[in-house]
Amino acid sequence: MANENQKKFAFFPGCLIPVRYPQMEAAIRKTLPKLGVDVVDLAGFTCCPDPIYFKSYDKTAWLAVAARNLAVAEEAGLNVFTICSGCTATLSETYQQLNTNKKLKDEINMRLARVGKEYKGTATIRHVATLIRDEVGIEAVAASVVRPLEGLKVAIHYGCHLLKPSHVMRVDDPDDPHILDDLVAELGATPVRHEEWILCCGKACKHEEAPPAMMYDLLKSVAAVEADVLGVVCPSCFNEFDLGQVRLARQYDDETLKTPAVYYFQLLGLAQGLTLEEVGLHRHKVRAPALEKYSAAAV
Amino acid sequence: MPPKKNKKKREEGPTVTIDFEFKKLVEKVVDGTLVNYCYQCGACVGDCPSARYVEGFNPREIMLKVLYGFGEELVGPASPAWQCTNCYNCYERCPQNVKPVEIIIAVKNLMAQRGIYPAKAQVGDLVNTVLETGRTAPVTAMTTKLREELGLAPLEAIDTAELKKILE
Repeated sequence: MANENQKKFAFFPGCLIPVRYPQMEAAIRKTLPKLGVDVVDLAGFTCCPDPIYFKSYDKTAWLAVAARNLAVAEEAGLNVFTICSGCTATLSETYQQLNTNKKLKDEINMRLARVGKEYKGTATIRHVATLIRDEVGIEAVAASVVRPLEGLKVAIHYGCHLLKPSHVMRVDDPDDPHILDDLVAELGATPVRHEEWILCCGKACKHEEAPPAMMYDLLKSVAAVEADVLGVVCPSCFNEFDLGQVRLARQYDDETLKTPAVYYFQLLGLAQGLTLEEVGLHRHKVRAPALEKYSAAAV
Repeated sequence: MPPKKNKKKREEGPTVTIDFEFKKLVEKVVDGTLVNYCYQCGACVGDCPSARYVEGFNPREIMLKVLYGFGEELVGPASPAWQCTNCYNCYERCPQNVKPVEIIIAVKNLMAQRGIYPAKAQVGDLVNTVLETGRTAPVTAMTTKLREELGLAPLEAIDTAELKKILE
């Protein structure tokens, strides 16, 4: 698909998506070329590493592993795009910390020197949503749509790490974000905001006290807006809203908890003419019957 | 009329002993020194999901305990740090740029150094998995099957030699 008019970006796939939810990776690979993005795979990336547990272990080690990943992209002379909010958080914070703190950067580079690498701070990091908005132009989304998702009501959960800390992430206003609403509207679908849109999914403390009651409030508020699907961009939120929602519905004996979670790029795939199977929607625990008519419609 | 002399003597309250040594340990972690700018306004509490759902969890109090050096309450099997959802609302709200969540993570780093984090917090297991496989989640037969079904290339093993060297 690549041609000279396409913009090249290093693809940082992360762990959770390629290993547990490859349907999201498939959706990315099948939809981005149609928006003019050349998805470049680089050898040498590892886990970002994860911004919850690995960072809890040792912040300096966490920065070192992340800086090594960014050095791989720098060597290839490419900017990076991410498809997971956690990877985006780790790499963006590393960029911000090391590019504003020379002492810390030197300390990290002493570690990288052991493997012949250096972090220079030249490769930027973009979440795929901002890649489309700021590098490609959001109008390219509507231009790629052959099957508008008219009539589809999409509740949106932004998740925490896409937006915060806002001066590090530089994605959108964390108190009134619009980027995902705008992307959904480009598909011809209708974005809706649920009352608990800002609440955390609880994945990062899933064995502690807060998650069940918190998730119940969150998913009840999603059910209340009677959306066809719950649009997400984060694999951790997805896990809590797919399998997690099935468990929670059982735990609270509440059959209204059944709004199917979908990754935004699966919706884009459907709108670009792909089938439910091609974007892996048939593998989700909470099925999305509202999407079947779009999948079956002629292109 | 001359003002009355306040004859009442200040009552003796419980003594708080500040442990600067503990605070110095927190300060050694990246962003740890920021706790010193906390003026206890409580802006971190209002939007904290754990404060809403967990009885007794309060990020302002955790900052105060770090400032007082109440290490034993923070670094131990009953540490409140693990109740943090890592949502970053406190970081967003703090007028002093204390980054409360980063101070809580610094406290977790001190626990990891001592190996006393709770097993259910998965810190040790996850770090080992990353060191051995380069990924947080190991590739399974299901991974291979799903990828094939979607027309994706199988995932190759990641060489973790460099990872191990930079983490030595």
